[in-house]
Amino acid sequence: MRLQQRLENFRQDKNCTLLGVGPMSKNCVDASIELAEQYKTPIMLIASRRQIDSEQFGGGYVENWTTEQFADYVNGKDINKNIILARDHGGPWQNELEKSQNMNLKDAMQSAKDSYRADIDAGFHMLHIDPSVDIHSKPDAAQTLERVYELYDFCWTYAKQKNQDIIFEIGTEEQSGSNNSKEELEFTLESMKNFCNTNKMPFPSFIVIQAGTRVMETENVGSFESPVRIKDELPPEIQIPQMIDICNKYGIFMKEHNTDYLSTESLKWQPRLGIHAANIAPEFGVAETRAFISVLKNNGCIDLLDEFITLSYKSKKWEKWMLKDTMSDDVDRAIIAGHYVFSSDEFIELKSKADNKIKGIDLYLKNKVKESIFRYMNAFNLT
Amino acid sequence: MKKTATIILNRNLPKETSLLVDQLIKDNNNYTDVYVVEGGSDKNNLSKYCSWHVNSKEVVEHGMRYLRGMNYGLLKLWESEDWKKYDSFFLITNDTKFPNKQNTIKILRELLEEYPRVGLISPCSKNWGERDLIGDNSIKYFWFIHNNAYFFRKELVEQLINTDNPTYMNFFFDGNNFRGYLSESEIIAKTYANDWSAAITTRVFSEEEESYLMDKNQLIKTESYEENLKLYVEEGLKWVKIKYGFNNRWQMMQYSKLFYEKFFEYYPKEKINKI
Repeated sequence: MRLQQRLENFRQDKNCTLLGVGPMSKNCVDASIELAEQYKTPIMLIASRRQIDSEQFGGGYVENWTTEQFADYVNGKDINKNIILARDHGGPWQNELEKSQNMNLKDAMQSAKDSYRADIDAGFHMLHIDPSVDIHSKPDAAQTLERVYELYDFCWTYAKQKNQDIIFEIGTEEQSGSNNSKEELEFTLESMKNFCNTNKMPFPSFIVIQAGTRVMETENVGSFESPVRIKDELPPEIQIPQMIDICNKYGIFMKEHNTDYLSTESLKWQPRLGIHAANIAPEFGVAETRAFISVLKNNGCIDLLDEFITLSYKSKKWEKWMLKDTMSDDVDRAIIAGHYVFSSDEFIELKSKADNKIKGIDLYLKNKVKESIFRYMNAFNLT
Repeated sequence: MKKTATIILNRNLPKETSLLVDQLIKDNNNYTDVYVVEGGSDKNNLSKYCSWHVNSKEVVEHGMRYLRGMNYGLLKLWESEDWKKYDSFFLITNDTKFPNKQNTIKILRELLEEYPRVGLISPCSKNWGERDLIGDNSIKYFWFIHNNAYFFRKELVEQLINTDNPTYMNFFFDGNNFRGYLSESEIIAKTYANDWSAAITTRVFSEEEESYLMDKNQLIKTESYEENLKLYVEEGLKWVKIKYGFNNRWQMMQYSKLFYEKFFEYYPKEKINKI
């Protein structure tokens, strides 16, 4: 059965919200594979280009895996093919190299195609086409769509040559994205419909919709859980049903990004509101970091703990997550950045020292990540 | 010609309230009478336009808040001969701001005439996302309107008021929900359930001056902004649980949306204003 049909059937049977998990670490990947197998449920492993990318780009920060290595690892463990290998936010300038080399549009588009080609070669099932980033100018809706068409056409043609079943996700959750208003969303979907019909390509399976979720530090600061209005935003009570109606009309799944840290009560409402799929990523990295800190603390490994906090803090990977008027101290910042350093030589050495002192550390960490993922699976009717 | 009764709730901010009344009279004099409910204000902090000073021990201590304050004003009018003078009610708090020279009430009254099935209208705010959804100089019907400035058609109000031992706790709004979280959805559900619609318009605008609650809470004699927000949600959720058995805002949203959708089944011509 084709993937699109499989997902549609699954959603219909379970009345669920499909789950996208960011592969934040090897433990996070293992936890996802095991939970997907235990509950016989599809889980999308949504790899950003910073997390996992092809050899050409030097891999990503997760386990230093290249696209191929990541896919091989997952395919080797996921015996019953519950996992959907998904590219999250593929597109030009979505990899640091394309930014640091100050690539022009043509080169950045070619680079994005190279990355997608590696995804397809590695057997990825789902590709998110997101050309919303441009380091030189701010593309308007029509320019963004042109870039979507070019990448979509490339990926579909290449996958077809390889006789590979792939599905697509379009859109971006950025506030400046082209699908925040009803009119813009309908325009995007209508344009995609025309493009796909004309070129005899399948309609995308998912579209990212801004649903009032936004992650900063370790909270969700979007309007979804806010009892008061957020300036210039539609209340989610209005935005979500409207967007879902349009998605249902076009037969496309609405995918919510940045769903991390919502309360369990709010998560339970995702399937009831008809939200078809949701992505969660940094929360699982933070869960593992917190577990690592706790296990070091509980076993008296204070020197290693201090070393880890310093390493993580100095990475400065927390910077983009901080609130303007943050009250976070250095440890809070280290917790936010922890998973970014899991594959560094310094961390590997530190972890090896911890392994020698504490038995079963990885099992403990994996189980903690599992608990975190399970909260979503349970709320989304996936268990 | 019948007029609109504008009811303003004040607590210890006489200057701000008087300025608001002055502006409303200046810009809308032929269309409205303005009444000020003083919800437990100190004697030396009454607006010069004070209509009723509620100074029971409880109200002095805790205030009235929007729902009880508006119930009080409406009930006072209903008990008097003045009720007959009005065909609509504009219920606002003293932190409501209107653009200068905007004939707010005149325009809202015109909208009630132009759209005979509208029971409740809220002016839009320049900062609301709904602004784009509605478009310029227009009106749309909503199942959710979060505001403290509602313009009601009298026929709707008369369908909803409780005339059996009415008090400021139960006359129009449910005063048991002290701070009012989720009560706007309740009144909207009742509006659609009684064959009226609830609209937001971009023909007039109003803004909420949040700085009053943020910076002047000690003067008003109320909780800090953060404490108020916490209590607003806690009390609202408790209220909705007891009254409806609902556990969160989404259930309340679905409840009001249910009546919203039904309304268009009965009044298909109104679909032109559906979002």
